[in-house]
Amino acid sequence: MRFSEKSKEHLDACRFCWMCRHICPIGNATGLERNTARARALGLSMVARDAVPYSDDIINNVYECATCGACVKECVTGWDPVMFVKEARLGAALDGKLPDYILKLINNFNEKGNIYGKDNDPAIAAAGASAQSDTLFFIGEDARYNTPQNAIEAAELLKKAGVDFTVLDNEPNSGYSMDFMIGAAAETKSVMEECAKVLSKYKTVICYDAADAKVMKREYKEWGIGLNAEVKTFTEFVSGLIKDGKLKVKKSDMCFTPQDSFLLARDLEETEPMRDILNACGCVTEMLLNRKDTMLAGNLIMAEYMGDVMDAVARDRWVNAKNVNAKTVVTQTPAEYAILKRTKPEGIELMTVEEAVLKCL
Amino acid sequence: MKDFLFDMIATELEDAVGRENCSTRTIDKLTHSVDYFWLSRMWADRGLRMPEGDFIVAPKDAKETSAVLKIANYYKVPVTTWGGGGGTQGGAIPVCGGIVLDTKRMNKIYDINEQGMYIECGTGAIYKHIEWAANERGYATMHYPSSLTCSTVGGFLAHRGIGVSSTKYGKIDDMVLQMEVVLPNGDIIETSPAPKHAAGPDLNQIFIGSEGTLGIMTKAQMRIYDQPESRQFRGFLFHNMTDAFNAGRELLQKFKPSVMRLYDEAETASLIKKIVGVEKKGAFMNIAIEGVKEMADLEMKILLETFGKYGAEDLGSEYGEKWWKEKITFFYPGHMMDIPQCFGTMDTIAPYDKIENIYWKMKEAIETNFPQAKFIAHFSHWYEWGCMIYDRFIVDGKDVPQDPHEALRLHQSIWNCGVRTAIANGGVVNDHHGVGIKLGRLMKEQYGPAMQVFEGIKKQLDPNGIMNPYKLGL
Repeated sequence: MRFSEKSKEHLDACRFCWMCRHICPIGNATGLERNTARARALGLSMVARDAVPYSDDIINNVYECATCGACVKECVTGWDPVMFVKEARLGAALDGKLPDYILKLINNFNEKGNIYGKDNDPAIAAAGASAQSDTLFFIGEDARYNTPQNAIEAAELLKKAGVDFTVLDNEPNSGYSMDFMIGAAAETKSVMEECAKVLSKYKTVICYDAADAKVMKREYKEWGIGLNAEVKTFTEFVSGLIKDGKLKVKKSDMCFTPQDSFLLARDLEETEPMRDILNACGCVTEMLLNRKDTMLAGNLIMAEYMGDVMDAVARDRWVNAKNVNAKTVVTQTPAEYAILKRTKPEGIELMTVEEAVLKCL
Repeated sequence: MKDFLFDMIATELEDAVGRENCSTRTIDKLTHSVDYFWLSRMWADRGLRMPEGDFIVAPKDAKETSAVLKIANYYKVPVTTWGGGGGTQGGAIPVCGGIVLDTKRMNKIYDINEQGMYIECGTGAIYKHIEWAANERGYATMHYPSSLTCSTVGGFLAHRGIGVSSTKYGKIDDMVLQMEVVLPNGDIIETSPAPKHAAGPDLNQIFIGSEGTLGIMTKAQMRIYDQPESRQFRGFLFHNMTDAFNAGRELLQKFKPSVMRLYDEAETASLIKKIVGVEKKGAFMNIAIEGVKEMADLEMKILLETFGKYGAEDLGSEYGEKWWKEKITFFYPGHMMDIPQCFGTMDTIAPYDKIENIYWKMKEAIETNFPQAKFIAHFSHWYEWGCMIYDRFIVDGKDVPQDPHEALRLHQSIWNCGVRTAIANGGVVNDHHGVGIKLGRLMKEQYGPAMQVFEGIKKQLDPNGIMNPYKLGL
């Protein structure tokens, strides 16, 4: 495993620093010392010095990072553990050292077009308003294969606003999951290029899942992958529909607590559209660690190989919600919805943002 | 250890804490072998592996901790307790191998007691997390060290930590009510239900600062406080440190600010200039006053009058507020000293009649004997009777031997020189980082025959000597 000079610099800065320990959702859930940016950096810095081999258990530790960027946000001097984690994953792929559980997901992708190895739900394609629109509603891999009902409801909401949009039966993969698993590999770029080709036929792409919006808006641009369509996040788009009066929302007596997705809050710097939506529907109560400081509440890719830890991560977030007497937690991504749903305690509700709006029409 | 016996012990430990909480993986052993101690960092930087534990074990409570200690005692396997690993003295390094007992699974918050004004929690809780829990109810822990986000409740207790608001709220040993402790033989005990009493010596204070050599603290009741109605800052520039000490001592006979930090001219011209933006020459002092607004306003008036008598230039509130906002920024990589530099904080404490002399003697000793070293200091925890020096030596990377053994020799000789000078002039081995393996040898020099008290307690509680060997000079 050979690291770039940039990664080595970041590894050496982070290897003896614990300042972000408290904010790591995985470390908080497991209590394991290895689930810190410092431990990962120390291990990899020792690999870079040939003091230890890039062995299975160091590689496994690299895959225990959610790449949520809480540590990056916390670091006042700008060190970036996500950057070296992604490089280490790429290195594992290039060295032929990917763990079996990652290889399985990649094999699923190669065979079925999605890492979950599931079949397409025909109800999703039928959710589109038109086959010929210049607006594409991009469902994404997580929702399509894990929470299809949410995507169908989201499409329903767009229809109620009179939005003319298409949903693709054979929707391409955005490349988010490949980027998560193997970073900037040629295979990841190839998936993204294929996706960009299809998306470029449309004027506007509304991304239901912030994960897809994130790679389209960031990685595509960074890696020079041409995408002509304008990409909008679902929350940004729905917030616009409410502001423009296309969705007539009645303010209810419901009180919502947003679960900010790090993909929106940190990666895309979008925090207010969801609050605008929820404030139109009722009132908003914030929980600890909101907006850019948000704490991850679940990742479906990681749930494939460390499901127990993902459940513990979500349970920690439920504790934060309960501590402010939240009535209804509202999510922005299918991954967080799915994991929060399976760990939901009694006496507190969970909704997607579209569910909240549909209740208030 | 032979494979067969190793496996036997491993399976017993797995039985005690669950297989998933007992690891022999390289990544776990590696990450529990390097703490914030410069020597462990330097060793890793040179591509060398520090001594590692054989088993990394994470019990969930006192009962499981007890089971682990019984196994360790039977097989006479060393046990090193690991909280956050943020200690600077090598206290958490498993120098003899054996079991590393990681406390972070014991992170439960059992009770936020608003009547008793305390949070009861496992000692593996990260202090920032109990601060969050207090904040959610409108309270604060008032324990704000630079390692707030890095370290555990148990880590602070084990090394007698301190935060920046100590002058008003006290040290960690002032902030604890009752504790649960597992003794080396596996017995689970509780200290007195209240910290102030006449029921014999204070059990809390026997285990606080014992660095895992006498037992393992597993649960603690930590004090919480009302959030202050008003927190006001004021920065001052003194012509010299003598005036600042006199002003500080006089102020503390009148009331207690929360933050009091005096920087020597060298640190004012370096760190304070860089982070806070003070450009002028002199000794910068930052004061924070907090509490009920009416009282804070009055205290501010007294502060200005008192410091005015000593010729302090009033820099207003801006620098102090900036300092408060940036108080942890100082310690991030890029601002803080780091490898390849060789550095250390030789904090000590003494009454006002000795403290300034200790500063000058230590500065002279370090700068004379090690001309390659820079000496900077601030004085950050103040009492009615004295204060502490947070003095640091820094040797530029170019002057640090690449050979790890030679680098170790240089480091040790600077420490010997600095701490022996402090002791000779009325200071103590350490103020708030603890002793660890770094300063163990110097404990005997400070305490002399008094060391037998510690040794007697150690012998009684830990006859097999399994608990954190070679730490604290025990």
